[in-house]
Amino acid sequence: MTRDARPTAAGPVPAQTAGPAVTPARLCLDRARAAVRAGDDAGAVRWALAATDAGDDLACWSAAAAVVARGLAALPPLARSARVAVLGSYTTSQLAALLPVAGARAGVAVEVYECGYGQYRQEILDPASGLYRFAPDVVVLAVHAGEAQLPAMSEHPDADVAAEVARWTSLWDLLADRAGTARIVQHTFAVPPDLALGHLAASVPGCRAAMLAAVNAALGRAAGGRAAAGRVALVDCDRLAAEVGKRTWFDPRYWHRAKQAVSLSCVPLLARHTAAVIGAQLGASRKCLVLDLDNTLWGGVLGEEGLGGIALGDGPAGEAFTAFQEHILELKAKGIILAVCSKNNDADAREVFERHPAMRIRLDDIAMFSASWDDKPTQIRRIASTLGIGLDSLVFVDDNPAEREVVRQLAGAVDVIDLPADPHGYVRALASYPFFETPALTAEDAARAGQYRARAQAAELAAAASSLADFHRSLAMVATVVGLDEVTLPRVAQLVGKTNQFNLTGRRRGQAELAALAADPRTAVLCVRLADRFSDHGLVAVVIAREDGDVLDIDTWLMSCRVIGRTLEDEMAGLLVAEARRRGCRHLRGHYRPTAKNGLVADLYARLGFTPTDAAEPRAGASGGQPDGAAAEPDGTTWLLDVEAAGDTPGFIHLC
Amino acid sequence: MQERLRRVFREIFADDALTLADDTTAADIPAWDSLAHINLMFAIENEFGVEIPDERLGSFANVGELRRYLEEHLPVS
Repeated sequence: MTRDARPTAAGPVPAQTAGPAVTPARLCLDRARAAVRAGDDAGAVRWALAATDAGDDLACWSAAAAVVARGLAALPPLARSARVAVLGSYTTSQLAALLPVAGARAGVAVEVYECGYGQYRQEILDPASGLYRFAPDVVVLAVHAGEAQLPAMSEHPDADVAAEVARWTSLWDLLADRAGTARIVQHTFAVPPDLALGHLAASVPGCRAAMLAAVNAALGRAAGGRAAAGRVALVDCDRLAAEVGKRTWFDPRYWHRAKQAVSLSCVPLLARHTAAVIGAQLGASRKCLVLDLDNTLWGGVLGEEGLGGIALGDGPAGEAFTAFQEHILELKAKGIILAVCSKNNDADAREVFERHPAMRIRLDDIAMFSASWDDKPTQIRRIASTLGIGLDSLVFVDDNPAEREVVRQLAGAVDVIDLPADPHGYVRALASYPFFETPALTAEDAARAGQYRARAQAAELAAAASSLADFHRSLAMVATVVGLDEVTLPRVAQLVGKTNQFNLTGRRRGQAELAALAADPRTAVLCVRLADRFSDHGLVAVVIAREDGDVLDIDTWLMSCRVIGRTLEDEMAGLLVAEARRRGCRHLRGHYRPTAKNGLVADLYARLGFTPTDAAEPRAGASGGQPDGAAAEPDGTTWLLDVEAAGDTPGFIHLC
Repeated sequence: MQERLRRVFREIFADDALTLADDTTAADIPAWDSLAHINLMFAIENEFGVEIPDERLGSFANVGELRRYLEEHLPVS
């Protein structure tokens, strides 16, 4: 993930003399220091985080970590925070020291606890350990291949592998019992490269390397398929080590000197990926890839070369662009939304998608197609508002450094990927970007891109409809209320973990906690699916309400941003009123806890006819089920509705 | 040389005001503990393209000795 050397911002790179090596990361660091001296905390943090994007150098990361720690303390809190316990089997002090800066880059304010050297097992087994006193939101099991309890050669490899897998899954289970809602991030074992068996190792299942690979695979299945699914995520260190080269990942000099099982040259990379996976679990991942066209999806400038002149499909360059398009479609298949942002005539740009025989990406893969002569920051803001997502959900790729720079400067919340000059490097540049991590694949993920496209079409229809009511009627919307069961639980947990804008209380809960809530007869969990004539949006809204005497208290209310503005919230209020009546409750009580992103619903209860009460409501903690004490500010609001006085709903959505 | 060394020290100790002299020792820099020493040796190897052998790792009495070692062992460019 190399970043531009940024000549516009940092000045020309001076010729190398006897002075310190000038690297892009150091240029960014110099900018960060200049911002510190100027008292510009936000600028200092931005440039220090850019330094971590620009390289994986331990010294630069250490300096950036200090700048970010000081700067963040002076700025408003990040939207998400997490208490992260690092439990290691080797010297993890450098990883622990870099996780806060890596976390800030991933959008999560991280507070770290590090267990004593190699004490991961004792800390989990001892109910009075510092780990449990720390009350972690996330536990990182930072373990290395040498720690696996496997012989060099086994007569019974299946049994030995099963025993080692059970050793780890039983630690997960203990953590689930004792650390409540904490999520677990397990590092896989980086299988060592230096094998006495040589190529024979590939056909001997009882050798240690083969068993390590089998343990990794089984841990992956266990994390994905067990009851605690959604609670355990892997960071695939074996893959990371292969990417950088296993002989780079493991440096025997520093292993023997200081028990560094991950070379200090790779710890920044490991911190970045660990933070990305933590961020994905907390809903901080990016959702949408915004694509330039000329020299990004095909070679050449359409306006100059014409449809027949662009490079795509044939020849080495043409194949490179085809490969890039195929990689982009794989991102779409895992739920990433695609948008186009191009300076072109709209009809000409669309014609390539419709008529060029080598185009892999089709128009209906694109949720929002923006080709015009407006500047790109303006186009990108329009894309975000049409799709109903924040700028900080967008990632922009463009071959043109000037366009990248203007987006960085004028739409700073957008992540910008630097494509290399040579299109053969495009796939690698995009694949190295770590913040498209997703915690699970669900059926909803796969269909999401199509749904956003339907939303964009619906937005166009809204512009054409004579009135909003006509528009809503024309959508022919149908809402279906479903319960929480093993089928809906993963999607509900995903919504609870990821929804930022329409989220009244910002409470994050895992699958186990949600299942426990739903099992309580005094709790109502209403899950709503919505379909319209453009598409089936799937399960898009969740309400959790609990009986409190004769009051039905709305603990959680959230809705996917793709169905905002459809009057679904009004119909859900109607469902809540009906639920309160059914349970004999006389009042509905709602809470609004402000977060960095939920200003959209600050007035929701007022609009729905609730009356404010004097009860103060703390600002939402960014993590865990309860408000974060440290961040508590009494500026939330509490609201009451007399269910007998509730009015009618708009009725644009047919309920069934 | 002194400037490159100072940059590495300032990054590892995250202190932009840090100054180095030949007689600077670990006792002069409060954050210079055994962990920081490992990080420092790694970063110096990285910056100067040298491999400091195990027996020299803990043997430098002060920054001057470290600087002289590096001057003697810098790869020829």
